[in-house]
Amino acid sequence: MLLYLTLLLPLIGGAVLPLFHLKTVKSRGVYVEAIVLATSVLVWIMLLNRTDETFVLYHMTDALALSFKVDGMSCVFAGLVSFLWPLASLYGFEYMTHEERPNTFFAYYTMTYGVTLAIATAANLFTLYVFYECLTMITLPLVMHKKDARSIHAGRKYVYYSIGGAALAFIGLIFSVYYGLNPNFTLGGILDPAMIEGKEDLLRAVFLLAFIGFGTKAALFPMHAWLPAASVAPTPVTALLHAVAVVNAGAYAVLRITYYVFGAELLYGTWVQTVVLCLSCFTILYGSAMAVKEQHFKRRLAYSTISNLSYMLMGAALMTPDGMVGSLSHLVLHGLMKITLFYCAGAILVKTEQEYVQDIRGFGKIMPFTCAVFTIGSVAMVGIPPLCGFVSKWNLLTAAAGTGLPMGVVAVAVLIVSAILTAIYLFGVAGPMYFRPVNPELSALTREKHDPTWMMKLPLTVLTLAIILLGIYSQPLVTFLRNIASGLIF
Amino acid sequence: MALLPILCFGPMVMALVCYIVGRFSKPVRDELVAAVGFVTCLACAFLWNQTGSFTVSGFCGLGLHLSVDGFRSLYALVASFMWMMTGIFSKEYFAHYHNRNRYYFFNLMTLGATLGVFLSDDLYSTFIFFEIMSLTSYVWVAHEETPGAMRAAGTYLAVAVLGGLTTLMGLFMLWHELGTLSFDGLRAALGGQPASTTVTVAAWLVVFGFAAKAGLFPLHIWLPKAHPVAPAPASALLSGILTKSGVFGLIVVCSRLMAGNAAFGNALLVLAVITMFLGAVLALFSVDLKRTLACSSMSQIGFITVGLSMMVLLGEEGSLAAYGSVMHMVNHSLIKLCLFMAAGVVFMNLHQLNLNDIRGFGRGKPVLHIAFLLGALSIGCIPPIGSGYVSKSLLHESILEYIHLLQETGQSWGAYKFVEILFLISGGLTIAYMTKLYICLFWEKHPTRQAEFDAMNKSYISVRSSVALLGSAIVLPFLGALPQALMSPVGARSASFFGQEALKESIAYFSGENLLGAAESIAIGAAAYLLIVRPLLMHKEGKVLVYADCWPKWLDLENSVYRPVFTQFLPNVIGAVTAFIANIPEGLVVQKIIPEIITGVVRFLCELPEKIVLFLKNTVLRKRRRKEAVPIGNRFTYGSGRFMDAIARGLNATVCRRHPVRTDFEFVLDASGKEITRGTIRITRSISFGLLLLCIGLFATCLYLMIH
Repeated sequence: MLLYLTLLLPLIGGAVLPLFHLKTVKSRGVYVEAIVLATSVLVWIMLLNRTDETFVLYHMTDALALSFKVDGMSCVFAGLVSFLWPLASLYGFEYMTHEERPNTFFAYYTMTYGVTLAIATAANLFTLYVFYECLTMITLPLVMHKKDARSIHAGRKYVYYSIGGAALAFIGLIFSVYYGLNPNFTLGGILDPAMIEGKEDLLRAVFLLAFIGFGTKAALFPMHAWLPAASVAPTPVTALLHAVAVVNAGAYAVLRITYYVFGAELLYGTWVQTVVLCLSCFTILYGSAMAVKEQHFKRRLAYSTISNLSYMLMGAALMTPDGMVGSLSHLVLHGLMKITLFYCAGAILVKTEQEYVQDIRGFGKIMPFTCAVFTIGSVAMVGIPPLCGFVSKWNLLTAAAGTGLPMGVVAVAVLIVSAILTAIYLFGVAGPMYFRPVNPELSALTREKHDPTWMMKLPLTVLTLAIILLGIYSQPLVTFLRNIASGLIF
Repeated sequence: MALLPILCFGPMVMALVCYIVGRFSKPVRDELVAAVGFVTCLACAFLWNQTGSFTVSGFCGLGLHLSVDGFRSLYALVASFMWMMTGIFSKEYFAHYHNRNRYYFFNLMTLGATLGVFLSDDLYSTFIFFEIMSLTSYVWVAHEETPGAMRAAGTYLAVAVLGGLTTLMGLFMLWHELGTLSFDGLRAALGGQPASTTVTVAAWLVVFGFAAKAGLFPLHIWLPKAHPVAPAPASALLSGILTKSGVFGLIVVCSRLMAGNAAFGNALLVLAVITMFLGAVLALFSVDLKRTLACSSMSQIGFITVGLSMMVLLGEEGSLAAYGSVMHMVNHSLIKLCLFMAAGVVFMNLHQLNLNDIRGFGRGKPVLHIAFLLGALSIGCIPPIGSGYVSKSLLHESILEYIHLLQETGQSWGAYKFVEILFLISGGLTIAYMTKLYICLFWEKHPTRQAEFDAMNKSYISVRSSVALLGSAIVLPFLGALPQALMSPVGARSASFFGQEALKESIAYFSGENLLGAAESIAIGAAAYLLIVRPLLMHKEGKVLVYADCWPKWLDLENSVYRPVFTQFLPNVIGAVTAFIANIPEGLVVQKIIPEIITGVVRFLCELPEKIVLFLKNTVLRKRRRKEAVPIGNRFTYGSGRFMDAIARGLNATVCRRHPVRTDFEFVLDASGKEITRGTIRITRSISFGLLLLCIGLFATCLYLMIH
């Protein structure tokens, strides 16, 4: 019951928001924040009191049912989302004073929360698939929010790619239902060994399709092109949806099908593993190299997201418990870091209207708080200890080195090269913020400080603290993830 | 021991405190920074004879392990001593600088991180502090914010990040292979066995990052660029201590993983010798005071690494090499502290570093003169008060020891003789470039500004700064003159960290052989100064001899190789290749050509039935054209008639001109055709024709029956 309430609260709360005709920032803020906070509290109550029970909402057919269950992986994703959403909403209030139709925006924004939670708590692939499609539809208005030609183009692209990906994923769903012993996610896979006897390669091919299909949301090559285009959306959307909710939902779904549906045993060491590792390694290199070349600040971060999401997919593709730990830890920690970076970019965009990297030189004096946060986030992102990016990179690297496959060594090399490129594209922004003079055309800005108000500062502060603390003391998180990956907790 | 984490994190906390204090009062902040240095130094002195360790499990994943023993307490003390001295000196030096708060904040952060490196007990902790140190010291190099400083700082950061990541890769290979990263655990995990290939590769990767920080060839590129642009106290620390943190990592690898590994030792020796010699040559060619000192640092790091490689080669008998290395580390730290502060005195008065601009500045300035001379004598290894003599003699002896060892076992030793010769030549070049600086600063006269320089004789340095300068210089002659009392204990307490045993017998520092080696170096130095520096590296402009920058610009590894590779080649090539592949789904082929082909094929298939019908309609099922009626007779008679008419016309025109054929064949043929038709009809209707056919039929039947 609690679970349904948790899912419905943001969905209904968001859906009825336009009915109230909220006029002021304050009333809207209070309403949205109340719903989001209440949902987050419910989520945490649910996570802390979880039982090994599967809730079946509705039986479509005998085999297909919409059902929910809170297991370890749900905890990771739902926990991350419920931590970030209230902060993101808080940030969004100030940001959206600069955009039109905030009521529509926050309606969809809040509903997305519910859909994301449903993805996190889905108990079988069918439910996951249904809400995965819902996520596409419900975030589409957010991407097209500006309603100019570019956003509509981006929205179209987003839909085409997502639907195309979902179609591939659907094939995986059909096969998993047909060959599955039971429909619900089980660590180690649900396929019936007797039935797949002799058809392993067929199922591996199906897995490849499903991997690419669900990988679409995680911007995996060859389905990556929608993400940079979608960075035209308002920053709260690009930050939360394209750095946390949507893209992580993709990575999450890929982890689910790899470890919980098809099972690592079927895939480990086969050609399909080589293929998916190649795809993710390629995307990592592509994302970081393009980020170096990109001069538009938010698009640079979007390319960085492409690269980092494939870190997670690479972890998934390693098909070992260590790989899963690395992948999950990067899912959590990258979410924290990337949302921080996006928020800094958004704060700069809103406060000074600068969106190109070369125009934000010397901003350390104009927006000291934002730049300091950005620098810490960048250092963490590159993976320099003791900040949190290091933890997930360490886990991924040890996992990749520990597979004993030739592709593992390639993956290690790719991670290192990507880390170098990450340093180039992030320090190339953070360094000049402090050590270069302000662009002469913008000298009018230097007269006063342009740091945002507390509504933007509070999320940034909390996130920065999380980045530092999770770096220094990552043991509980990593232990928890390790227990999930090795099946010690359900 | 709770003191250990306090030593590492205390300065970091104090950095924040100093920053906040600095927002309100700059003088209080300056004193506070000096006080932090002083207190840290006292605390490190307190550690002197202690051993102990401290662990925070779970810190950054693998936990934080700190420990203190003879060597680590020694180096913590040296580091904190240098911070104290530069802290005292900084007040005057930075008086006219901007953004001092930032500098002091990162200065103290680096102090904590550096102590963390020197007190760490596993490579993981070393690495964490090492990375923090690299990043925080970036701000030192960039502090002046001039284009040159930014470029140097960029290089510094790039080398640090690249080195750090490579080391990280090595670390997890080690972690994967051996299951531990603690210093003692590594040795135990190998269990006296020679390292496997994976461990060797991992060791080299680990060495990469540390060697980059130490300034070993070919990763030395940041060193000659970063030191001249950094503020002088920061240069002193960069050169004196931060390079040593790299050496610290090298020691760990050499003593824990690669002890007695001849291949590793030889490879390291090659790099060390190149660094040693190249640094000395670069220093000799340099015309910039701080750049000379920076290149000299590089060269001295080469000397230290030669000691480490000899230690690896000598295996268990490498005590002498270990002694020499650690003593040279200590010497070099203290010497560079003194020399860079002296250079700082020059810079804070003149804001220039080119030898042609600063020549003669030291005339009549005894404090500066004494400090610089003591430093120069020490680094030049002039016995008995040059402390460098003590350590370099031991390093020299260790090379000779290895040559002896090879001679005894009958192996070829020529290469090591060559190393020894380069060692002596580098020592000589050290003397030459220090002489060059010394004479330039203290004996020559500036052609135009000498009076101005002399007028500064009273005011060029405050009492506080002179205390710092002389305080760091005055240690050196004691170290040089009383090696038995002061230097031997340094070696003895460090030997165990180097994986060697402390020497039982006392070392004869001033033996004839050592003095001879020093004399050879001095002779080479004098010769180099008189034969290279004076005639070749100086030329006359007008009436004055000026120092000329003769080092070819293109011989710069950074500008000609590294920068193009990392800023252009790597991102552009990866970017171009991956973007090309990644754009395929969005590109012309997929968006235009493939859909065109698919629609083409599908359309063709869909229209195929229709096409077939059309084809049939046009061919087989075509309606027959109605024939035009011919004027006379049927088509056959008319056609052949016309044909024959044509022939007849032809004949009439040629052969039958006299008797032309007048027949109109069309009519004739028509008439005869009708005749035949009529005849045929008449025949076929007659009975006789029927009988005839019957006969033929019977005949055919008979024929058939007969054949069968």
